[in-house]
Amino acid sequence: MVNVSIKVNGEMRTASVPPETTLLRLLRDNFNLTGAKLGCDVGDCGACTVIVDGLPVNSCLMLANQVDGREVLTIEGLATTDKLHPLQKKFEEFGSLQCGFCGPGIIMSAKALLDENPAPTVMQIRDALGGNLCRCTGYAKMIEAIQAVANGSIEPVASKSA
Amino acid sequence: MRPFEVYAAKDSNHAVALLAQHTATSKVKVIAGGTDLLADLKFSAHSPDVIVDISRVEDLKGLKITDEGLNIGALVTHSQIMRSPIIQEMFPALVDAAHSIGAVQTRNLGTLGGNLVTGVPSMDSGPTLIALDALVNIIGSTGRRQLPLIDFFLGPRKTVLKPDELLAEIIIPRQNLGKPTHFLKFGLRKGQALALVNVAASIWIDWDKNVFVAPRIALGAVAPKVIRAPKAEAYLEGRTVTPEAMAEAGRIASTDARPITDFRASAEYRRDLVAVLTKRALEAAYALGQSKR
Amino acid sequence: MEKKTVVTEKVPLQTLLEEDGILRSPALAPLVTFPLEVVVPEVRHQTPAVGQRATRPDSRLHGLGQTRYIDDMYFPGMLFARIKRAGIASAHIKSIDTSEAEAMPGVIAVITGRDVPCNSFGPSLKDQPVLADTRVFHAGDGVAAVAAISEQIATDALDKIKVEYEPLTPVLDPLESLKLETPGVHAPSANIYGSKVIKKGDVAKGFAESDYIFEGHFRTQMVEHVPLEPHATIAMWDANGRVSIYSTLGRITLGRADVARTLGIPMSRIRIIATIVGGNFGGKNEITTEPVLALLSKKTGRPVKEVFTRSEEFIASTTRHPLIMDYKTGVTKQGKILARQIRLVLDGGAYCSWSETTLGKACILSAGPYNIENLHAEAFVVYTNKTMTGAMRGFGAPQVCFAYESHMDDIATALGIDPLEIRLLNAFEEGSISPTGQMLQSVVVKESLLRAAERFGWNTDGKASTNGNAQGNTKSNGNAITAGKGNGVAKQLPAHEQATHGPAAHEPAVR
Repeated sequence: MVNVSIKVNGEMRTASVPPETTLLRLLRDNFNLTGAKLGCDVGDCGACTVIVDGLPVNSCLMLANQVDGREVLTIEGLATTDKLHPLQKKFEEFGSLQCGFCGPGIIMSAKALLDENPAPTVMQIRDALGGNLCRCTGYAKMIEAIQAVANGSIEPVASKSA
Repeated sequence: MRPFEVYAAKDSNHAVALLAQHTATSKVKVIAGGTDLLADLKFSAHSPDVIVDISRVEDLKGLKITDEGLNIGALVTHSQIMRSPIIQEMFPALVDAAHSIGAVQTRNLGTLGGNLVTGVPSMDSGPTLIALDALVNIIGSTGRRQLPLIDFFLGPRKTVLKPDELLAEIIIPRQNLGKPTHFLKFGLRKGQALALVNVAASIWIDWDKNVFVAPRIALGAVAPKVIRAPKAEAYLEGRTVTPEAMAEAGRIASTDARPITDFRASAEYRRDLVAVLTKRALEAAYALGQSKR
Repeated sequence: MEKKTVVTEKVPLQTLLEEDGILRSPALAPLVTFPLEVVVPEVRHQTPAVGQRATRPDSRLHGLGQTRYIDDMYFPGMLFARIKRAGIASAHIKSIDTSEAEAMPGVIAVITGRDVPCNSFGPSLKDQPVLADTRVFHAGDGVAAVAAISEQIATDALDKIKVEYEPLTPVLDPLESLKLETPGVHAPSANIYGSKVIKKGDVAKGFAESDYIFEGHFRTQMVEHVPLEPHATIAMWDANGRVSIYSTLGRITLGRADVARTLGIPMSRIRIIATIVGGNFGGKNEITTEPVLALLSKKTGRPVKEVFTRSEEFIASTTRHPLIMDYKTGVTKQGKILARQIRLVLDGGAYCSWSETTLGKACILSAGPYNIENLHAEAFVVYTNKTMTGAMRGFGAPQVCFAYESHMDDIATALGIDPLEIRLLNAFEEGSISPTGQMLQSVVVKESLLRAAERFGWNTDGKASTNGNAQGNTKSNGNAITAGKGNGVAKQLPAHEQATHGPAAHEPAVR
């Protein structure tokens, strides 16, 4: 067993887990943070994306031990009790999420992108989402939503006509 | 994943000591970024007993210009290569190569050394470095050795690395700093695709005579390991720069390639790709040289 | 449905719209004569909702990461199951030895096909074993299942299960499977397990009158749905003899019947709880391992969970049918289609699943949205020892669309006609009769084509202009014009498509 102490969503969490435990399993099984999903378990689908020390990573490809002492942000850490994160808000308004399974990963990738580059081009957004698969193929609306958060100027069609 | 022990190395000496200690008695694997290793272990029936975690070894994370040239620590991630001002300025081809690997998440985890030690013929880090005559430093319990990167690979997924050794550093020699280089990859899609063919071309130009000097063409995914295209390089050496010469070099490079047919593409298709990509890479490298003149 | 005397007088659309500007205008009652005539509002005047952005009620939870998919649930004492896959395409099972796996610490129960009360199921033909017991029909067949205290122990236990096979020559090519002398995959049943023929007019006469006859041969490949959420199930058998199953199942009522059949208990004792599904696309329209999980739960007295690995998703769930499509079309010099003959062979894989539905739809739509007086379309679906094929987005429509549109382009090129022109010359219009004899209404194929051509800058020389693309994409669109449709399922379809569900279709055209 290895002991890991991680700052998750701003809070120190510790656990004692078998060495082969991945960060994804640690978050889901030990910390009950099931927002990050297990889609492929090999780093292809991006459903497990979380932000470690400011960078988006596949949590299925990190051993829990490798994250010891580091800072992790998961989808659960974005909203506060009274306020959605702007990305969550726009993703909802734009109908960007269909089955929703890829959503947490995609929002985390988008968050990391906007943190680094507050005004990305469409190509930069597409590049940032390159590691997140969505089989409902909702990419267009996700890109619109991310743009809307970035520049705050694109409004959903519904609110425009209202 | 099946159970194993993990030992985290504090520095490279510690890592080498851990390897020496455990390879004698157990099956050992090294984890850095983990993007290849963990994906393998999840499907593999043969798990290691011990994993040496080198992801916190700070002395393998450097990226600096030294007397030798540009030294890149094996643990430098693909993202760090893309963000490095030195590399952006001197070797945009390395930025392109790093960018073509996986996706954002895997580039943040995966390391340059990790990509090289996989030894897969389609690796995207290999061609550019080989076109720049890169050297590698290997450390082990018996000491340190240096060899050209092209000799580091033995065949598909095979390298000269012994079980108790680590790839420590990749060095682009001083005389090649700023050498105009271009990398091109052709995959079945833009993101997260393995290369059907990848090509790097690196050239100096004698601007007085407008001839190629020290041309290097490296090809990936068309042989059991990343190879150079010696016939095409010989053809270009000292030849006047013309579009025809670059196209001809592409054609010759396609005869240097030894591609196979698999479910991704046929050998013929790959040969065609080599010809076209080599020509384009030479053109782009030349254009880069001109812009920096 | 009760037949009524019919109101033939059409209420003017404008009146309806004025009366109720928000709701969809009501359609009037059916006419006495067939085909059914319905007053349909003009296209693009149907409802103000069109063009509005819809917000999904579950979207907020998705974005917060709070949606509970099955893998996000845990019940006290829960066990984890894994299924051993055959890994061989066709074989007799001589023996299965589970003793070593059962003896492993952490393994609570192991079951095989012999533990299944009724070892066959399927949404149409009951040709699929829950766990293969005597015969393996494809490599993804389950042969044994393990419930253990952790997923890893369950996975490790699979290696300890020894299965002895007597390998048989697999049937892999659907065209081989079609032949009478080929051994039956499910002998003594024939390999052809579904067929459909549509005849209209006289093709021989049509071909004789044609100036040119073109033949085309098209194949499509097997496609996996790859839902981001793999198939997952939790089963809980309780002391009252009732079983609750949490399942990623799109059709729970149908699934309940299948589970009842395989377990040999009444439907009233089965509760299937449909959770939010992380992508279905047709791949979760039928049960897969639900009975296995139920039996493991019964045997252990504990909740049991199983989540497919990504590779299981590819080998053990349904996929899209590969089609082999032969087209023969007779045309005039001007490009008017006079006759078309079509043969479709669907690779059905090891089990029927939704093959019959797919076969029917592919056959009905195979002629394309074109007026063809003389038509002969036939379709066959055959067994092979491969991953079963079933429902997937469009049920065969995308495959035939690929064929008839490619064929159309080939004909246009050979005749030197603009690909758009040849489609306009032949396309369905108001009142056209579909291959199955239904009169079509609200047909806007030509209007749609013309508008599309205008929008992306289709030139009369048959090439898309390079600057006509709205996105500023400079790549030419080439011959990317198509009059067919590639998707859509069942009821809510574009007008020309709805009408194809006429008297010959398997679904009644009552609405």
